[in-house]
Amino acid sequence: MLNISARIRAALAALGLAMLAMPCAQAQEITVWSHWAAEAVKRGYVEEAAKRFEASRPGVKVKITWYEKTALYAALRTALRAGQAPDVFYAEPDQTDYIDNGFLADLSSGLNWGNIEPWAKTAWTVGRGTYGFPLEASTVELYYNRKLLEELGVKLPPNGQLEQGAFLDLVKKAKARGITPMSQGVGDRPFPGAYVTHEVLLKKLGTKEYDDLLRGKLSWNDKRVVEALQFVKQLVDAGAFPASFTSLKLGESHTYFHTNPGALMFQMGSWYTSRAFNPTDKGGQPAGFPLGIMQMPAMTGGACNQCKTMAVGGSFVVNAASPRKEVAIALLNSMATPEMGNKWLENVLVQTGIKTDASKVSGPHADYFKQLARANEGNTYYFGMPIQVMQGKPKEVFTQVINNAFPAGSIGIDDVVKQMNAAK
Amino acid sequence: MSLNRALQTPWRAVTVFLLPALTIYVALTAYPVARTLWNSFHKVLPKREEFVGLANYAELVQDEIFWRAVKNTLIWSCTSPLFEVSIALVLSLALYAKVPGARFFRIAWFTPVLMSYIVVGIIWVWIYNYDWGAANQMLRAVGLESWVMPWLGKPTTALPALIFITTWMWTGFNMVVLLAALHSLPSEVIEAAELDNCGWWSKTIFVILPMIRATVLNLIVLSFVGKMKIFDLVWITTKGGPLWSTETVSTYVYKRAFEWSTFDLGYPSAVASVWFVIVLGSVLALTWAFHQREKLEY
Repeated sequence: MLNISARIRAALAALGLAMLAMPCAQAQEITVWSHWAAEAVKRGYVEEAAKRFEASRPGVKVKITWYEKTALYAALRTALRAGQAPDVFYAEPDQTDYIDNGFLADLSSGLNWGNIEPWAKTAWTVGRGTYGFPLEASTVELYYNRKLLEELGVKLPPNGQLEQGAFLDLVKKAKARGITPMSQGVGDRPFPGAYVTHEVLLKKLGTKEYDDLLRGKLSWNDKRVVEALQFVKQLVDAGAFPASFTSLKLGESHTYFHTNPGALMFQMGSWYTSRAFNPTDKGGQPAGFPLGIMQMPAMTGGACNQCKTMAVGGSFVVNAASPRKEVAIALLNSMATPEMGNKWLENVLVQTGIKTDASKVSGPHADYFKQLARANEGNTYYFGMPIQVMQGKPKEVFTQVINNAFPAGSIGIDDVVKQMNAAK
Repeated sequence: MSLNRALQTPWRAVTVFLLPALTIYVALTAYPVARTLWNSFHKVLPKREEFVGLANYAELVQDEIFWRAVKNTLIWSCTSPLFEVSIALVLSLALYAKVPGARFFRIAWFTPVLMSYIVVGIIWVWIYNYDWGAANQMLRAVGLESWVMPWLGKPTTALPALIFITTWMWTGFNMVVLLAALHSLPSEVIEAAELDNCGWWSKTIFVILPMIRATVLNLIVLSFVGKMKIFDLVWITTKGGPLWSTETVSTYVYKRAFEWSTFDLGYPSAVASVWFVIVLGSVLALTWAFHQREKLEY
């Protein structure tokens, strides 16, 4: 009898201990809100990283909620204000308002920065703090159809960069043959239409003065700026873009380039691959598509013709109000390893801010990465897309004017200069 | 205290009946309106609020995009009701006159209003598509190649294209309401007009229209208010572009509140407050202008 009551007491004590321990176990649940709900490969990568992390830390559970970007941003705005935001969430470096309002934990001492590219760290450095783990990165590339270029009888120089006059001739030649020179569309995005203009401006001005221009310290009346705009206007007038430019959506512009009706060139972030290397029935390019990468043309009198834009995109940040910051940072550190970086390259086929070795990438697209690496040899980078650097009204005007109306041929150079100067 | 006893004194009964509705009204209408007005005099950031007086309103006066949005919204609000109600009137008269296939046409013309703006927006983005949209395909088919254009992509055509969509969408609703009004007209008045050899035109202008005047005016006011607040359709189709040619006040408030990389709710609140006053003033003015001073007796 005594034995039984002792057993009951022992069982009750064990139950009590278990109940005491339960809140601790619950406290180790890390909540993550992320974009990429519809991007299975990126989602798979993050989910696998979370599983690995859980396996390496018994008692820790990672709960990921997937969103599409707009819904995520709207949910975060409310949740951050209400103090209900998750421990870790997706963000991009242009969201400086998170930093300004003290919502992000400073990762400068917690994250293993030795495994992160210095330029990627810079993208998230504001003042003395560094606030994001830069997972996704991209360069602005000019893809082209090698077969069509050959048919037009144009040969690229060894560095893959035509002079601006030769580039304009190429556009005219393609147009005359009934080939759309450059696939591009702004039907659902605020940036692709601006690629040509900002890359031309970057080459003409060099990184320092280009940065001044974007930040409102250099006038759009500047002679070099106007010359660069004149070149873009010549391309627009020569019919560089599809007639459906203003309504063509991002996904459609990919298909327009490689499948139907087909275009000679396509300027896009190097995340082009995340769509193009899908199976053809999911919008991927046809098997054996002769994909090439050339440089944007060298500008006459350009200050930096080897300049190119590189941008950090999808990143993860830690909520400054999280009571589990250390575990949250450890989760990010588990992704910030060269091994995970190479896994990202192999699976997602997009660059990353994690230090990687593209030569070690195997699989069916290894050649593409070698080609991409060659296209970026000796380049000087400007870090950040204009819509990441600009905020508020300048960003809105840039989107409406440089991304849409100017390349669509709706307005001329004088209007561009006037509107951009007024928005400074 | 039982409910019966509580209801015995008038003020208690009034309180019991009004309290639920009042609570909902205060929580979901009065408080948000008051709070928006209060916000408009402050810089409202997540962890601090700072009184800025009339600074937000002063900025508003200088804000070119806001005034462009006001202009677009007013154009939309003033033209749409005219198109919707006048076309609806013609259609309802046709149905009232029992044209062949009236039952089919009544359903067909009413169907668009059953769809949400989201669905309508997506459908019309396809219809207006430059390469394969039905609008341009039809133009190509009839040899009007030079008229083919990206309807939502040109600053000059984008707003008219959107106005066309709302007209297509809401005409059916107006038609059904007008048809109900026509059917409720006293038949003896119509018959008396017919006995007096009144032709269909005179009968419509001098007999039917005056009798359904109140319904027509209410529909105009409803349509006007609806367009003053329009958001969903623009957001799905053009997001206010190109070059702000379809920017409305509602889309601009949303952009300022949630897309301009600032947590400040003060300025968007100022825009919303000014617009609230303009909408309220316009509705009062319309109601006053349309007020029927002499009642028709029939």
